[in-house]
Amino acid sequence: MAQNISPEQSGAGGSSKHSDDSLPVKDNHAVSKRLHKELMNLMMANEKGISAFPDGENIFKWVGTIAGPINTVYASQTYRLSLDFPNSYPYAAPVVKFLTPCFHPNVDLQGAICLDILKDKWSALYDVRTILLSIQSLLGEPNNESPLNAQAAMMWNDQKEYKKYLDAFYEKHKDT
Amino acid sequence: MGDFSVVWSELLKIFPILNGEIVYPLQEIEKEVFEDVYRHLNSLGSVETFTAILDLEVESTVRNILAPKLWKQLASDAEPKEKSDQVMTIAEITAKDGLFSKFIDAVNELYDGYRCLLEMKPRLIRLNKNAASSSDVENIKSTLRNALLARLPPTFNSFISDFYSVHYGLFTKDSILSSTTIDSEVFTELPCPGCNYDHDQCCCQQLTEMVNSTNLKLLEMGLIDRLAGSALTILIKLKIKEHINDTCLGIFDRSHLKQLETWINDVVMTWLTSIFTEWRSGDDINNEQIPESVQAFKVKLTYFMYETFAQNVISQFFSIIIDYPDSTPAIEDLKICMEKIDMRVHLTESLRSALEARILHPGVNTMDILTGYVAAIKAIRHLDNTGVILEIVTAPIKDYLRKRNDTVRRVVTGLTEEGPTDLSEELAKGELIKDGKDAGLNEFSNWENWEPDPFGIDPDVLQMNNSKIIRSADIISMVVDIYGSKELFMVEYRNLMADRLLSQLDFNSEKEIRNLELLKIRFGESLLHSCEVMLKDVTDSKRINAHIHGDGNINESTLFDITSLIISAQFWPSFNKESLQLPEELENEFKKFTKAYESYKGNRTLNWRTVTGRVNIVIEIGERVMEMTVPPTQAVIIYHFQHKSVWTLDELSSLIKVPPSALRRRISFWQNHGLITETEPGVFSLLEEESEKIEFEEMNITDADEEDLESAMASASDQREEELQVFWSYIVGMLTNLDSMPIDRIHQMLKLFASNGGGVEFTQDELKHFLQRKVREHKLLFSGGVYQLAK
Amino acid sequence: MKVTIKSWTGVASWRWIANDENCGICRMSFESTCPECALPGDDCPLVWGVCSHCFHMHCIVKWLNLQPLNKQCPMCRQSWKFNIH
Repeated sequence: MAQNISPEQSGAGGSSKHSDDSLPVKDNHAVSKRLHKELMNLMMANEKGISAFPDGENIFKWVGTIAGPINTVYASQTYRLSLDFPNSYPYAAPVVKFLTPCFHPNVDLQGAICLDILKDKWSALYDVRTILLSIQSLLGEPNNESPLNAQAAMMWNDQKEYKKYLDAFYEKHKDT
Repeated sequence: MGDFSVVWSELLKIFPILNGEIVYPLQEIEKEVFEDVYRHLNSLGSVETFTAILDLEVESTVRNILAPKLWKQLASDAEPKEKSDQVMTIAEITAKDGLFSKFIDAVNELYDGYRCLLEMKPRLIRLNKNAASSSDVENIKSTLRNALLARLPPTFNSFISDFYSVHYGLFTKDSILSSTTIDSEVFTELPCPGCNYDHDQCCCQQLTEMVNSTNLKLLEMGLIDRLAGSALTILIKLKIKEHINDTCLGIFDRSHLKQLETWINDVVMTWLTSIFTEWRSGDDINNEQIPESVQAFKVKLTYFMYETFAQNVISQFFSIIIDYPDSTPAIEDLKICMEKIDMRVHLTESLRSALEARILHPGVNTMDILTGYVAAIKAIRHLDNTGVILEIVTAPIKDYLRKRNDTVRRVVTGLTEEGPTDLSEELAKGELIKDGKDAGLNEFSNWENWEPDPFGIDPDVLQMNNSKIIRSADIISMVVDIYGSKELFMVEYRNLMADRLLSQLDFNSEKEIRNLELLKIRFGESLLHSCEVMLKDVTDSKRINAHIHGDGNINESTLFDITSLIISAQFWPSFNKESLQLPEELENEFKKFTKAYESYKGNRTLNWRTVTGRVNIVIEIGERVMEMTVPPTQAVIIYHFQHKSVWTLDELSSLIKVPPSALRRRISFWQNHGLITETEPGVFSLLEEESEKIEFEEMNITDADEEDLESAMASASDQREEELQVFWSYIVGMLTNLDSMPIDRIHQMLKLFASNGGGVEFTQDELKHFLQRKVREHKLLFSGGVYQLAK
Repeated sequence: MKVTIKSWTGVASWRWIANDENCGICRMSFESTCPECALPGDDCPLVWGVCSHCFHMHCIVKWLNLQPLNKQCPMCRQSWKFNIH
């Protein structure tokens, strides 16, 4: 009896059905199934500092919440993010944006995030939880090599000054 | 003046009432006397005066003599008759001193007086040609009526009713005779249905004459309609009730309405006509002869007949439901009645209370309630195809069934096995379940078939039950609807099927597969997907077992054959947490099987659920040899007694990893079979010697089964608290990200995202209680209609 | 007393011999199916890479087909090679 068949070696036989419908998956069912599953895991894990939930009836649009990491200038702040899942999820990454204004070297003023795992380093193994954890740690450890916000990148080295600016920034954006 | 006294005495002769004398027939008066009197009166110029006096006298006689006399006669010693419901026999009524004869005498006397007064008129006209206009027959009649009515004694109606009872009895004698099925020999031994006397003493003829002449007199005096009308109505209604009870009660398999209408026409109306006209039996009635009063009666009585009949049917509706479909004619009849008379509220109330009294109590087993429910659905749907009555009437049954914890099991059993509910038949019909969208579309596309909701139902109730879907759904949907959702129902179906497969372990799933196919047609594939995998596991297991038992697939020699049901655990309900540690030599046998499996199915292995199964064992003890099939735990227990004949409960418990309490229960199986005895508390010994008391020739699995009936699956209620905890995690999750939400949004979100397809149901009411609990525990804040997390 | 077992009808559940419980790609249990399949086991098998990571076959094949250049294990980013026993 054959085991652990390699689809490449065993010809089209085992895999034809699935490899044919490559690229964006038409059937949303599989995707929503995985998203339901992720939601359940996330709810049950109830991890401190990160959380997310569908925004409405559409399971493909979520709102996420992350707490600024302690011992960083972002500590005690709470950030809202939006997560839009494509039909090809998890084979393609979701689009993640900050809803709360965030002054950070890798976040632009529209909330767009520059993070490799959301781009070329995406893996089907990532999920909402790992994305949010990655963004959370990005807050404390920005990649100043390729900044989206040059001003923030420049200021980063002086954390005291940075914090001052940040507080003023929050004051300005209090209502949003 | 001498002349005047002569004239006066002549006047008294002509008009005896002037002297207070009321006699009939009157004395003939010669023509000369009239002329003489006329001359005198005329000469005195007092013809007109006299005419007036006489008219007054006639009236006063009616008021002061005739009427009081009649009432006095009827009331004299009329001890207030205790009007019991029991109808007096005609013999009792017609007894000489009874009311009946008194009534006849009194009417005769009244009639004589009436005739006497009538005669006054023509005589007066002979004296005064002008008198014709001042007083006429009608005038006397109406004076008489008014005078009588003015002092109607309370007992009068019972006279009338007794009298007409006799009249009715005599009148309907023929129709009773013709409709009776009693053969003539027996019949002669019964009293005459007309007069109630023995046949040889029958006095129908005589009574009929008496009754008819009295009736004619009343008719002539114009008294029947006004005086007897209400008593007659009561009497006829009574007769209608009697007739319906006699001919319709308990007979549902044929229609009665036609027969009743014919009866009203042929018997009641003919009788009434005979009372109100001078018609005599044998004459034909043509419609012009039927007086208006009788026509009016007919409308009233027909209505009453329908009403009475409908009430009669409604009061028996529970029996009709049980008899359905044999009782279809009765339902058809009621349907016709309900088109004429609004009885829906009465029907729903009566039926609800009947159902509550008959089936909704702890003494009735669930299967019988279900049978009643299904029968009610069928019968009521036949009556009212809008489904509104059905919904109202069956709501308490649904509520009640929902509270019983074996309902789904019974429904599933009913669906898949032959039984009194016919549910399996319904399932086999394979109608598709109607879903909401289709029903909605139909309403518009089939507007020609639209029917308003039945009249007479509280609109709030309709509002509440705005689910037209349910109303028009088929019986299976109605039954499944007890549970509120087909998802929940399917979950229970899966549990039941798992139990069955695991307890039978016969690898025979053909029947289950057939049922599943039928259920799939109705409930859709996705809900039954797990069941499909479960059944595939059964057939796959059969093949795998055959392969493993095939030549050379188990390399080592085996102590005994192992056959296994190999399940895809993800698709089966979760097992309870019972365990059982096998003795090493037995465990080795299972390892051999596992090894063979592993080499057959690469990269896969088996986890044994040792506690479930059936073991065929042979016990040799002394001279005895017993072969039996027992559950694994029992087998392992007795197995351990082979090498060590005394065990303490704790020792054995820790060895085989069965908790002491459960172990004690299992050991009792062997105690019952006389193999093990508890020598001191917690110490069990093997009984090597045959105990005389116990015979164990025929032992079989059923003994063992009975105590092992408990399900191998985790119970649904165990899972509820866990579910609530899951819900709470979701609520925290959504409020963390979406800040604050009203209850209906929370409810909707839970339904969308937390139900996981497992049929998790959580009504908004339940949710409200739950959220309020969390508010009390300071986990949530509630203000402005929205909930948010407490910081 | 002697007890002889003649035959035993038991119940077992099958499982994959794998390091993990769930497929990292679809998050479904290995013993369940990938989102596209209805029947578990033979019809929706697992496959292993030489890197020792395993997935539902249908899931990893789909992932690999969507990688334009280097076909890597989504777990360890090593180049994916099916491990054939």
